[in-house]
Amino acid sequence: MADDPRSRGPLDPRTIIAFYHVNLRYRDQTALADVSFTVDNGEFVCLTGPSGAGKSSVLRLITMDLFPTKGQVVVRGMVSTRMKRGRIPMLRREIGFVFQDFRLLEDRSVYDNVAFAQLVVGVPGADIKKNVMRVLTQVGLWNKRDRLPHQLSGGEQQRVAIARAMVNSPKILLADEPTGNLDPVTAQEIIDLLFRINDGGTCVIFSTHDHEIVKTFGQRVMVFRDGRLASDVERRVPERDRAPRLSDHMYRPGEEPATPHREGGHA
Amino acid sequence: MLRRTQLGYLARESVAGFRRRKLTTGVTILIMSASLLVLALFVLVTLNLGMTLERTRENVDVRVFLVGGLDAERLAGLQPPFLAIPGVREARFIGQDQALAEMRAMLGEDADVLEVLDENPLPASYHLELSRGHRSPEAVAAIASELRRWPEVDDVVYSQAWVGALESWARIFRWSSLVVSLIVFGAAVFVISNTVRLTMASSRRVIEIQMLVGATNGFIRTPFLVEGILHGLLAGGLAMGLLAAGHRVLSVRLDGLAFFTPVQVGGFVAFAVVLGLLGSLAAVSQYLRLRRVV
Repeated sequence: MADDPRSRGPLDPRTIIAFYHVNLRYRDQTALADVSFTVDNGEFVCLTGPSGAGKSSVLRLITMDLFPTKGQVVVRGMVSTRMKRGRIPMLRREIGFVFQDFRLLEDRSVYDNVAFAQLVVGVPGADIKKNVMRVLTQVGLWNKRDRLPHQLSGGEQQRVAIARAMVNSPKILLADEPTGNLDPVTAQEIIDLLFRINDGGTCVIFSTHDHEIVKTFGQRVMVFRDGRLASDVERRVPERDRAPRLSDHMYRPGEEPATPHREGGHA
Repeated sequence: MLRRTQLGYLARESVAGFRRRKLTTGVTILIMSASLLVLALFVLVTLNLGMTLERTRENVDVRVFLVGGLDAERLAGLQPPFLAIPGVREARFIGQDQALAEMRAMLGEDADVLEVLDENPLPASYHLELSRGHRSPEAVAAIASELRRWPEVDDVVYSQAWVGALESWARIFRWSSLVVSLIVFGAAVFVISNTVRLTMASSRRVIEIQMLVGATNGFIRTPFLVEGILHGLLAGGLAMGLLAAGHRVLSVRLDGLAFFTPVQVGGFVAFAVVLGLLGSLAAVSQYLRLRRVV
């Protein structure tokens, strides 16, 4: 399987994230032990496993909020062992992050929450308006742009958080248990939104311990157990068992609709 | 480069702490200006003592009283040897009659008491004026003990005992100012860093999101540093204002009480601003170092 992203090196141009024998000790406990994998540009990956198995640590290592105790993490060609503190903001501008608890600014409107992400990285005023309008339309909340977060449902708040994560057009979207606080129907809507974002070429990595989501998820699933990568498989969920997705009905150039695995075409 | 939208944001955020926590801000500024006031007071007293000392030194006046029974020629002949002593700039002879006349003038209406005297009891004397480099207590004492060995000299009197006392006071105040400024330094940095820490804690979510979306540390830091600077500016201004008011009240009674020059006032406020900056810098760097995003 020459084209299997699981067996590629970090120098392959398709690789966007690479973990190399990563060990992480955190507060005197081993959070990750000898974890190695690579993720392709434009891939959609699900991290799963019980709480404390190391899913969040993987995401934090990708944002370089943590650094490996041993081994190396390479993200968009930036190497963890050679990363200067001053460069970290530049890396973060290429990564969107979504949390279980949304983390919106409660005293600001939906619009301002999203615009904030652009403001602090110095996007010109005129572009901010254009970009915020684009992402809020994408998540279906442009008409609620003047609401405050507490005036929205949980699913809507998570969509605002996703819009905020996407407004700087990141290459990677990380979502840490994005459906953890949501009912199953809303959760599926969020997963569906992540698929649509992935269809736009963004690499999406999300973590969940919800078996229902994993069961119906027709993509690459990495299972973590006790800080180790226990399995890393491309699941082929039969069409009839898979939850329907909006993206099933969208045309993707050069591909059959609903093909679960896309070749690395977004180099 | 910062964009206009960013500058607007930074300006709003810089005063956010003032808006959100008026009481804490007020107390911080009061504590800081009180400590600065104490410091300024010490510096001002040192300054005034120094000036008094300088004035006293200008008037260093050594009186050499001569033994009785010297004839006019011997008396006049003493002037060259006096002037030959290193540091003596001028030697003025005051004869017995002149001394009595001065005494009479000094006594004014009570000069009658002198009428009971059969003869003039006042000795003739020389007033020596010393040049600038020889006015220290040690130098004057050395000259005096040298003169006391002369057979023509009965006694030497000088105002240096005074100068010595003044000088030791000035020394005490100079050192206390230093100690007080160190204490004030610590106290001001401490209260400001605590206040800024409070602002940062209440802006936790905002900081977290800024870090998450890739704002630079410099950008995240700026509003909090500006807050510290504003604290210093206000506290320094308040302390100077109070001190100026106090000086105005006091100088009605005490003549020649000196106040800081405008440059010194500016320097003092700048010192307060630096304290504010250091306090907030301490809070910010500690906070950002410990802060994790995810």
